Amino acid sequence: MTKAKNAPPKNPNPPLLKRLLAHQESGLVLVIILIMALLSLYGVLTPPIKQKTLIKLHENATIVRLDTQGNEHEFLAANKIAGYRVTLDGQTTEYSSNTIERYDSADRTLIQVRSVNRFFNKSNLVLIATNASFFAIIAVGMTGVIILAGIDLSVGSIYGLCAIVGAMVLTNLPPETGWYIAVPLALLTCMTVGTICGFANGAMSEGLSVHPFVITLGMMAILRGLTVVIPQGLFGTQSIGGFPTSFTTGFFKAEFYGVYPVLVIIMILTAIAGWFVLSKTVFGRRVFAIGGNETAAKYAGIPVKKVKILVYTITGALCGLSACIYLGYYGAAETNAGNAYELQVIAATVIGGASLMGGRGTVIGAVLGAIIIQLINNTLIIFSVDTSYNQIVMGAAIIIAVVIDQTKQRIQARRA
Amino acid sequence: MSALALVGCSGSTDSEKAATDDHGHDHSENNDHGDHDDHGDHAHDEITYKIGVIAKSNSNPVFLAAKNGAFAAGNRLTEELDGATVEILWQTPSMEDAQLQAQYVEQLVASGVDGIAISCTDANLLTNALKAAVDKGVIVVTFDSDAPDSGRMAYYGVDDFQAGKEVMRQLAKVMGNQGKVAVLTGNPAATNLQARVNGVVEQAAEYEGIETPMVYSFMPETATEAAAKMQQVQTANPDITGWALVGGWPLYTDNALDGIYENAKIVSMDPLPLPLEYAMKGQVQVLVGQPYFGWGEKSVEMIVDKLHFDRSPASSMVYADFDIVTSEDAEEFAKGWKLWLGED
Repeated sequence: MTKAKNAPPKNPNPPLLKRLLAHQESGLVLVIILIMALLSLYGVLTPPIKQKTLIKLHENATIVRLDTQGNEHEFLAANKIAGYRVTLDGQTTEYSSNTIERYDSADRTLIQVRSVNRFFNKSNLVLIATNASFFAIIAVGMTGVIILAGIDLSVGSIYGLCAIVGAMVLTNLPPETGWYIAVPLALLTCMTVGTICGFANGAMSEGLSVHPFVITLGMMAILRGLTVVIPQGLFGTQSIGGFPTSFTTGFFKAEFYGVYPVLVIIMILTAIAGWFVLSKTVFGRRVFAIGGNETAAKYAGIPVKKVKILVYTITGALCGLSACIYLGYYGAAETNAGNAYELQVIAATVIGGASLMGGRGTVIGAVLGAIIIQLINNTLIIFSVDTSYNQIVMGAAIIIAVVIDQTKQRIQARRA
Repeated sequence: MSALALVGCSGSTDSEKAATDDHGHDHSENNDHGDHDDHGDHAHDEITYKIGVIAKSNSNPVFLAAKNGAFAAGNRLTEELDGATVEILWQTPSMEDAQLQAQYVEQLVASGVDGIAISCTDANLLTNALKAAVDKGVIVVTFDSDAPDSGRMAYYGVDDFQAGKEVMRQLAKVMGNQGKVAVLTGNPAATNLQARVNGVVEQAAEYEGIETPMVYSFMPETATEAAAKMQQVQTANPDITGWALVGGWPLYTDNALDGIYENAKIVSMDPLPLPLEYAMKGQVQVLVGQPYFGWGEKSVEMIVDKLHFDRSPASSMVYADFDIVTSEDAEEFAKGWKLWLGED
């Protein structure tokens, strides 16, 4: 009693920094900033990398290679070339080999180079986010599933099946089909297939009262089988391509300032939508309530089964969305699409702070978890580490992330 | 007009002196200033060619041989090319994964590589990524499995149709041009396997004493599935006297051919270490091999040729010869694997 009386009163409005650090995602953001800072520093301390731009020569232009004395040569080994002399309509332009890396006589193209930091350049940064987007979008749904203390092992297979069915629709569209038809049609197809699969997962798990681990494990095998059998039976092939370009380079792989940002934008929008649903709606609060204590949630009048089925259905739909952007970005689907994706998705969610015991997790954390996984991949590439080590590093990262998170939880619980 | 940063040059190497383009031009011609620059500088201080090599999987020994071939070529070319270093970046998924390969292509391009050598797990899925790489000035060569619409400079490997014909040619020889032949293939939808099967069937038609072969496929492509399929087919059709294996799947298990080799001659693709043991035991008569080490070695050579000498191969399809391995020379061939796998 005396102690309580003497204790300073709690500040109802702690400083902004303290509030930010109290957020579950703050640790992840710090980790990302730290990794990026170290990689950028490494990029500064090591020789820069070359980014290339192609300059197509005019058909009437002539070009010769110049040696160090300024003598012209039709052919010259690359390390002897000091520059290039291009002549067009009597006008001569000379390019130094410092800026022109080489001349490709087959394509009549000059390859211009500029030096950039090997990590901190826009192509690399957008690429990291792009590669994360495929499973980050699914991780948004998986966060809800894990908060419910459930699991969905079939997300990779749903993704694969959605991609194959979407590809079957797209490959039958005329090549000149506009994006305003191809994109909605593909989204509708992929997300419908995903929604049906997700609903089946939830309905079977709840209807048959079987643990979702078993149901989704079975669905993983069934859907993967369909992903292999359907294209073989109908097309006699392992992969389906040949989509309208308006769907691929015209939309999902549209280039802006040398990068392909559409997938990143879709990932951000999905994350915002997921965050809003889970933290600002009644439905979201019900998900947390069920994950925290299912029995209490039942007694509180929450329609537990309905909410659970809906969460699995949304996860399936997000698999469809991810499959659709995969089709648009790569321009094809193969039977192996999404194989072992469930592990990456669950890893991203867990690194993002979700508890497999249920009741805890954030969408933003899951997306940040996916970005951390891709940052680790990128780090290994920058350091030229053999890809065989990727899985070892990834496994270690998951364990470290969970141990740190649980330690943090224990400390917070003790303080409380 | 931009001023040239003139910084001298050095003498040419044997390799450079030998450099000629497709039309036989000497790339070093008129290079009469090569050795007399008093300043002793270089046009480029040091050129480093970074070449990414992407195989289908790290768990398949044929790609380990390709990896060693790529590194061997990189080291050799670095020694041969004065003032140039060839750096190999090995980026290969642990298991076959076309999407991951496409991501590796993009990451390598973003990291500033000059060339990429790749064995495509799925041509459809990789075409766009490789096209984007080519559009950014990266020289792309495919090996083993091609992506013909990607804009790649060249493909290096065997012609699958011809490989199938060679398997049947060798089988007919050991069967004395007569008998009943069965063909074992894996995934019936795989285009490279389809081409090999077609080659076997077409070649078989040239022998009057050989019936049109029956084709048996199995899925998934595992050694045990393949061995079980062969056993079932041979038991049901004891009159089969020859097996054409368009892939070496069953030969990765022990005793896969018990009950078969006593009744039929067997010719298979892929003289890998385990299949070679079957050849040494005399259970497999001939193994038809692909240039596993050369996949990496030749691909890197072609890319460096283009980068350093602006020299393209005469044809975009560079076909390699087959290695024909019989029971007699299987042991000798096995020694080659030790070198390819870096065990020597």
